[in-house]
Amino acid sequence: MRSQSSSSTRSRATQPPVPRPQTVRPDPLENLTNPRFLWGTLVLVWVFSLLPWRAWPYAPDILLLVISLWCVYDSNRVGLITAFVFGLLMDVHDAGPLGQHALTYTLMAYGARVSHRRLLRFELWGQCLHMLPVFIASSMIGTLICAWVAGAWPGWSWLVSAIFTGLLWPCIGWLLLIPQRRRADVEVNSV
Amino acid sequence: MQRPGNLRLFRRGPPTEFVLTVLVIISLALLIVDANWKTLNPFRQAVSIAIYPFQRAVMFPRDAVLTINDWLNAAAAAKSEDEALQKQRIELAQLSTHAAQLGTENAQLKRLLGVFDKLVAQPSVVVEVLYEPANAFNRRLVFNKGSNAGIAPGMPVIDEGGVVGQIVRVTPMTSEAAVLTDEVVSIPVQLLRNGLRLIAFGSNTPGKVEVRYFASDADIRDGDVMVTSGVGGVFPPGLSVARVDKVDRDSTSGFARAEGQPSSHPERYRHFLVLLVPVDGNETPVSNPAVVPSSASPTSQTNRSEGPNAQPKLK
Repeated sequence: MRSQSSSSTRSRATQPPVPRPQTVRPDPLENLTNPRFLWGTLVLVWVFSLLPWRAWPYAPDILLLVISLWCVYDSNRVGLITAFVFGLLMDVHDAGPLGQHALTYTLMAYGARVSHRRLLRFELWGQCLHMLPVFIASSMIGTLICAWVAGAWPGWSWLVSAIFTGLLWPCIGWLLLIPQRRRADVEVNSV
Repeated sequence: MQRPGNLRLFRRGPPTEFVLTVLVIISLALLIVDANWKTLNPFRQAVSIAIYPFQRAVMFPRDAVLTINDWLNAAAAAKSEDEALQKQRIELAQLSTHAAQLGTENAQLKRLLGVFDKLVAQPSVVVEVLYEPANAFNRRLVFNKGSNAGIAPGMPVIDEGGVVGQIVRVTPMTSEAAVLTDEVVSIPVQLLRNGLRLIAFGSNTPGKVEVRYFASDADIRDGDVMVTSGVGGVFPPGLSVARVDKVDRDSTSGFARAEGQPSSHPERYRHFLVLLVPVDGNETPVSNPAVVPSSASPTSQTNRSEGPNAQPKLK
């Protein structure tokens, strides 16, 4: 009894009296974004996608990336229907087969949504590795179906584009999560 | 700490898999319908009218920069253009005397044969490229004028090199043209050298047009120039289309195909000309009062070439 208590006091003496701040990290599942910021970024990125820089065949699809990021980080607000609607808008803008982007975006949003609980336990680079195959798979399905409908193979530029999009996950994610991180910092400091 | 609005014990709404299935089925249906029929064009038109303000707003900085740049460079551009034109004028002077000679001779011969050819100045609209859609499946250009300027689907688009393409969709403010290397465009052409009539299609090779399904012993070789034949009535005769640079003669099938390099440059400049020819379902194409008389006059019915092979068959 005595020896036990003495050992416990000894261990308490060696350990810091207060747990380290890192362990007080707030549960990422409870982090919710300001809806105005969320929709603002979506519309901004959509408008940015109307610019001619996307004419480069390997250009990453930033809109798809932002939609899937929000599907992971705020799956209550952004989901498959949002992705589908933005996909249709891009289809009309690109004057391509109607439904190509809609299909790709919907599949991507589904991929992000089913794994969002798991993904939130990872850092951005870990999420990037998880999402890269999803980006490639959804682009591949979209392109294959369109190639079948259009009767022409468009080449491999979609693959490079999907890989670029996936690799931009940490950068864009870091940018979009600035408000959340700031709030988390404030909460940690308040403890 | 916990916000009450976010406390969700049970999932609300339909399950994700159900939404996914419905949306994927809708996408597939849209894709298939859009590839085969024109049923979805009104929907596409409505959406593009809705996003038009955003497109213009977002391209405003670029347009402003281009305008200012044009202003600043106006003097230099005018000077260099003037030099080029002087040179061209001298070169053309010789050619034009020759052409005038041939023209009178031709007119005389036609009079002798009783063939009439009324040359009517084609009403046209200058358009500027609004943007080039990023799309792996087809080659399109979107222009900054639409049905408000009298543009209708089917009208040809030209530049100084020849045929650039054909208008495929219009909204009141914009119009979308398929470049002549796009699969959907087919242009009745003839070879300048021997008058062989063919139809030029967009090719699978990017940036090329091809003619196919003609007998493998047909007289066509590298360097032949294809011009529009005027058959079909949509493309006026005599516009340059392409120069043949590859001929494949397949002795097993008995057919040959040839590829050509387009003589126009859809990728180079910003301004093009849309010819306001009468097309299907668009008998009064012009709302611009300056060009109404020529299309409203009775000669508009006969302003197509009335050569021996011209048929008023609209595409």
